[in-house]
Amino acid sequence: MIRMIGPIVVLLVLGMGTVGPVIADEAPISGTVKAVDPAAQTLTVETTAKGKTRTVTILLKPGSRIVKFVRSTEPGKTGFVEQAIALDDLKPGWIVSVTAKHEGDREVAEIVKVVLER
Amino acid sequence: MRKLYWWLSALGIAAVALGMWIADPPAIRANGEDKHEDDKGGHAHVPAPLEYADNHVPPSVWTDPAMIARGKEIFTVKCAVCHGDTGDGKGPAGAVLPLKPPDFRDKAGAAEMRDNYWYWRVSEGGQAEPFKSRGSAMPPWKDDLSREERWAVMAYQHTFSGHNGPHVPWEHPEMVMVGRDIYVMACVTCHGQDGKGDGTVGPTLSPGRAPQPRNFTSNLFKLRSTPTGQLPTTADLFRTISEGIRADGGPLTFGLRGYRIMPGFHQMPVEQRLELLEYVKSFNKGFWDRHEIKTIAIPTPPPMTPERVARGLQLYKDAECLACHGESGRGDGPSAPTLKDASELPIAATDLTLPNRFKNGMRPQDIYRTLVTGFSGTPMPSYADSLEPDQVWDLAYYVLSLSSDGRRALETAKR
Repeated sequence: MIRMIGPIVVLLVLGMGTVGPVIADEAPISGTVKAVDPAAQTLTVETTAKGKTRTVTILLKPGSRIVKFVRSTEPGKTGFVEQAIALDDLKPGWIVSVTAKHEGDREVAEIVKVVLER
Repeated sequence: MRKLYWWLSALGIAAVALGMWIADPPAIRANGEDKHEDDKGGHAHVPAPLEYADNHVPPSVWTDPAMIARGKEIFTVKCAVCHGDTGDGKGPAGAVLPLKPPDFRDKAGAAEMRDNYWYWRVSEGGQAEPFKSRGSAMPPWKDDLSREERWAVMAYQHTFSGHNGPHVPWEHPEMVMVGRDIYVMACVTCHGQDGKGDGTVGPTLSPGRAPQPRNFTSNLFKLRSTPTGQLPTTADLFRTISEGIRADGGPLTFGLRGYRIMPGFHQMPVEQRLELLEYVKSFNKGFWDRHEIKTIAIPTPPPMTPERVARGLQLYKDAECLACHGESGRGDGPSAPTLKDASELPIAATDLTLPNRFKNGMRPQDIYRTLVTGFSGTPMPSYADSLEPDQVWDLAYYVLSLSSDGRRALETAKR
C-alpha cells in the first residue's frame, strides 16, 4: 500500500509545485494611460500584444503601489530609485507597466511602474 | 485497492497537466500576454521603411566627441530609465516591459543595426510595425528631439558596443549581408561584384553602346527625382528596381518583357527590395555624405488640351529638342549620330513616338520628371532652370502627342 501511494504523492506534490509559483508570477500589462479615475480607484491602459490592441481597466486596492523612477539624490549614487506617487499624479499619455492579479473578471494592480512621463 | 490506486494516479497526472497548462496557458490575460515574448530585446531584422531609408547619419557624427557628449546628456535623462546607464537594456523601467530594450553592448547586434533603421526606431519608437504589434513601449522621439539630437543619442548609444569608428556598412559589412545575398543572385551578372557595372553579361546587352549597366560607385544616375548631378533617393532606386528600365535594348534583351534592358523586380517582396537597395547604396559613400536631400516636386498633371500641345510644339523647337529627337520625334535629329554619354559610348536619342520604351516611364508625370531632372551622364539636359512648371507640362504633352496613343488622346481632347 505504502509502495503504491508513494509515487502518487510525488505526482501530486510535483503538480502543485508547478502551479504555485506560476499563479503568483503574472505578466505585466504595459501600455499608455488612457484614463485615471481616482474616485473609482481605477486606471485605464491601452496595451498592445501579439498584434492586438485592447483597453484594460485596472483596479487599485489599498495595497497597490504606484512608483516612478528618479535619480538618486544620495551623494555618490547616480542610479535610479523608486518614488511613490498617487493615482491622481498619473496622467493620460504616460507609459506604464502594471503588475496585476487576475481576480474574477478584473485586473487588480500590485504595482504600477511609470515607464515614461509624456 | 487497485481502483483507488488508478484514481489517485489519474489525479496526480491531472495536477501535473494543470501545472503545465498554467505555466503556458492560452492568451487569457487582459493584455493577451502570459510571459515575455522576446527576452532578447526590441531588435528585429526588418529594413527601415522607404520614408526613412535616406536618413543616413553622416559618418563623422559617430566619432564626434561633442555629439557623443550631447547624446550622453539626452540619454541619461530620457533613455537610461529603460535602456540602463550602461546601455545593457536593464534600466529599472525597461526590466518590467514585455518587449525588452536591446543590449547596446552586444557588438554583433549593434553591428547589424543600420543607421537608418536606428534613426527610424528612435524617431517612431514602438508606434511602427512590427514593434507595435509586439507591444513595444518605446516612445517616438521625433517630436521631442531634433534630427541632430537623435543622431547624438545614437552616437552615444553606439559607444556601448565598443566600436570606435563610424557606424557604416564599410566598417560593418554584416549590416548589408541580406542585401548582398540578393545582389549576388539577381544583379551581379550585369552590375558586377563591386557594383561598377562590369558584370559578365551586362555589357553584352548593348555591345559597345549606351546604355550600360549602372556603375553604382559613380554619381551619375539617370533615373532620379533629385536635381542634376545628385544621387537618387532610395525611393528612386526602389522605383527602378521595381519597374525595371525600358529601352530599345540590344540583341539579348528579347527575353525581357516590354523592351526592358533591365528587368523589373516588382514580384520580389518589398522588404527584400529594401535590403537589396541598402547593399547597392553601400557601394557609394555619397549616400552617407549628403545631409539634405532636395527632390523635385511633380505637380498634379493638368489635362491635355490642344492649346497646351500647341505651346509644347513651340517649346520643342525653341529648346532645340529636335536637334537630337528630330522633327517627328523619332530620335533622328541632325545631332543624333554624334551623341555620346559620359563614358564616350555612342548613345541613341530616344524615339519619342514609342513611349512604352521611355526609360523613365510613359505617364505625363514621368515625362515631366525626365524634363526637369535630365539624365545625368547623357546629353539629355535638365530644363528645371529654363522652363516654368506649366511650360514643362506643355512640352510633356507635346512629347506624348508624338505617339499614336497620344494623338488619339489629343483628338479626344479636341472634341
